[in-house]
Amino acid sequence: MGNKQTIFTDEQLDAYQDCTYFTRKEILRLHGRYHELAPHLVPMDYTKEPDCKLPLALIVNMPELNENPFRNRIVESFSEDGLGNLSFNDFVDMFSVLSETASRELKAIYAFKIYDFNVDNFLCKEDLEKTLNRLTKEELTSEEVQLVCEKTIEEADLDGDHKLSYADFENMITRAPDFLSTFHIRI
Amino acid sequence: MTSQLQRQGSAAAVQGTGYTGDQGLPRLRRAPSSQSYQNGPQFNWSPASAGREKAEEGAVEPPKSLRSLPIPMALKRAICQVQQMHVPVLSSLQSWKRSKAKSLSRVRSYIGGFLNYITLWRKSLNKIGGNFGGGVQSYFLFLRFLVVLNFLSFMLIAGFVLIPSIVFRSVASGPMNITGPAECLQYDPNPQGLVKFHNYFLDLLTGTGFMESSYLFYGYYNNTMVAGSDFSYNIPLAYLFTAIFYFAFCLLCITARMGTAFRVAVATGGGAIGSYSRIVFTGWDFGCLGDRAMKLKQKNIIYQLQVDLEEERIKNKAATLTLGQKIFLYSLRIFLSLVAFGLIIAAFFSIFAATNFSQGKTGEVGVLGLFFEYLPSIVITAGNFVVPLLCDQIALLERYDPSITVIVALLRSVFLRMVSLSVLLFTLWNQITCKQRVSAEDCTLCHYNYKSYPCWETRVGQEMYKLALFDLIITIAMLVLVEFPRRMVVDGSSSKLAQWVGRQEFQVPANVLGLVYGQTVVWTGALFCPLLPVINTLKFVIVFYCKKITLFYNCRPATKTFRSTWATAFFLLVLLFGWSLGLLVLIYSMAQIHPSMSCGPFRSLISMWTIVPNSFYNLSQTSQDFLFYLGSQRFSIPLFLFFSVVMCYFIALASVHGKSVNLLKTQLKLEARDKQFLVKQIEELSRTLGVAR
Repeated sequence: MGNKQTIFTDEQLDAYQDCTYFTRKEILRLHGRYHELAPHLVPMDYTKEPDCKLPLALIVNMPELNENPFRNRIVESFSEDGLGNLSFNDFVDMFSVLSETASRELKAIYAFKIYDFNVDNFLCKEDLEKTLNRLTKEELTSEEVQLVCEKTIEEADLDGDHKLSYADFENMITRAPDFLSTFHIRI
Repeated sequence: MTSQLQRQGSAAAVQGTGYTGDQGLPRLRRAPSSQSYQNGPQFNWSPASAGREKAEEGAVEPPKSLRSLPIPMALKRAICQVQQMHVPVLSSLQSWKRSKAKSLSRVRSYIGGFLNYITLWRKSLNKIGGNFGGGVQSYFLFLRFLVVLNFLSFMLIAGFVLIPSIVFRSVASGPMNITGPAECLQYDPNPQGLVKFHNYFLDLLTGTGFMESSYLFYGYYNNTMVAGSDFSYNIPLAYLFTAIFYFAFCLLCITARMGTAFRVAVATGGGAIGSYSRIVFTGWDFGCLGDRAMKLKQKNIIYQLQVDLEEERIKNKAATLTLGQKIFLYSLRIFLSLVAFGLIIAAFFSIFAATNFSQGKTGEVGVLGLFFEYLPSIVITAGNFVVPLLCDQIALLERYDPSITVIVALLRSVFLRMVSLSVLLFTLWNQITCKQRVSAEDCTLCHYNYKSYPCWETRVGQEMYKLALFDLIITIAMLVLVEFPRRMVVDGSSSKLAQWVGRQEFQVPANVLGLVYGQTVVWTGALFCPLLPVINTLKFVIVFYCKKITLFYNCRPATKTFRSTWATAFFLLVLLFGWSLGLLVLIYSMAQIHPSMSCGPFRSLISMWTIVPNSFYNLSQTSQDFLFYLGSQRFSIPLFLFFSVVMCYFIALASVHGKSVNLLKTQLKLEARDKQFLVKQIEELSRTLGVAR
């Protein structure tokens, strides 16, 4: 394209490029996706930093997210108010963390937040049960679910408090070779 | 709501636990803050210390590590602005350096994006990975690596051997004063008389006739040595050095790739995490798209969990075996290992017999002749197909753990494939150098069996060509005659048998071994059939599309995901075995066997290697002295010592890294226990204080 885009100023694009794992073209493309979620709410001109947030219900309808069993938790973890309302900044942040080149540690932090359903900074048995039920669409018997949760905590718990702190989770995730490739949404 | 409070709370904690970001070395966590949510991920807010961390590394661009901070985007941009305002007064040199580094990194990211764009089959591989997982994708990545390797090898060979041969064929003639018995010099591969049309097709498949007198095989190349006024080109020397360099190049590529694979395997601590945590936390592929793929993924996860629970039950049962049952189990295993070994030996004998028979029956015409020509390939392929199947069943009977069963079956298949190829080559060598027959009179005249093999290198090249071609034909035939009908039957009929058989699963280890076998054939045959790499490139491209089609139309997703980290390293190791087999053949052919006197670029020499000393003495005196010095003890021993020191350094470094990883792990555990202890102390103390008050 030869024409200069007027959605962002150059400084804004530079700042976005430095703060995320995206290039300028990808950021503009993301803005396009954000805009088409709610064309009447999202302005085309972001040079004045408009304060526009899209609700959870709109974001989880995106084709990349609408089949994901954790879609609500993902959007909530990246929203500033914790309820799932994403501004464009949060939107870009979300896809930057979930992109291919994001660092392992960053992904681990957000993965921990996503799996922590009751937001108490621990993955307790209830969190794991909820995770498992979302994963398997409740097709395992409750006894099997209990067994798997116990075994998971047993494998990953280092300090013996029968719940997973971030340290336990990070230690376990660094030994999982597939983590980087599965915790990745292509947009 | 609580997360917002947490973020604000962490903003207040300027002296929070330092967050390491994505910098290389692991750093110890400093003393945890007294916040109640100590176990959450924390980060250092102050840009000053962040700048200090970056300055430690000598990085010239502060904003780069902003990406890996786990804070909301608006705050990141605020930090970015703050940091830019904080820019210290730099000298003009430093600011020039900083701007240059910035533009260099921009250029690098553009190039990275461009390379990503032109990478071969990128979209297909992404699609495969998304639908079938990392294990299957690693097979296709391996296939792509081999395609690129073969293509680059072909460029090498074309540049140094093929094109000069074509160019100089008409220009110059080499030393034609070949002295030798007249019988040894007789060689005429061109078909005599009127050739029937269908013979062309047969020749295409067997490499005889018009294919034999073409640049495809060794025999067509001449020993031309062009010597102009300021330009000279020695085709035999080029041929030899290209072959050697081709092997060195392949070794370099494989070890480089193996390095990355091992690095990943070591970084994940060697021991993988338990299977349950792996499934629960990394089982779901977030990039999975499509309703059907989602449902399949869920079924996959459920099945995996149920299989793991079942394995657990079996393991618990197996641990409670009595002594008598254990003895029975071990003796059963030994017996079955012997049976598997016996099967492999039987396969070798049949290959040996088939090769002898086939070599004895050269000269037959028509379809029967084609069958005899292809007999060794047929027997090898049949063996490679039947024996691993039986070995798999035997391994099941041996009642090992499932993961050990896979490894045992893999090792047996590798052994079978590599050694069956070497049996074929050994048989050929026997016949060429008359080691077998009692009367070696056929070989005394020309130092090789000139009656059956007037141009033995071309014959060996033809055998390798037939093997490669037959492999491709079998792959396509399996696709058309077995895999598609199986799917049609399973989908069409609703009988119990069809449902029990089910759609096939993509077997990654078996397919990868097929690729390794194909590549080994190319390596053993490259000296005798210089165009084999390009034929193999085309063959692997066809295999890629065939396997992709069969994957998407005929296969169901794997129930047991294949772990891709150690697998990649293992496949490259097996590839290295194949490479060393090719190297053995190369060294032996170059150094020991007398080249054919009637064909090829080495026809006037007593061994292929003697071209090197011969040309050596044509070099200038200074070059000779220099090369002598390189080969002398005064140079080679210090060089050897230097490389030993470098290797010891790297081994020490690796062991230190491993030890520090273990140390840090124990430290992590101890810190958590300390935390718990301290919290209990605080509670007790507050209780006693509260009681005392």
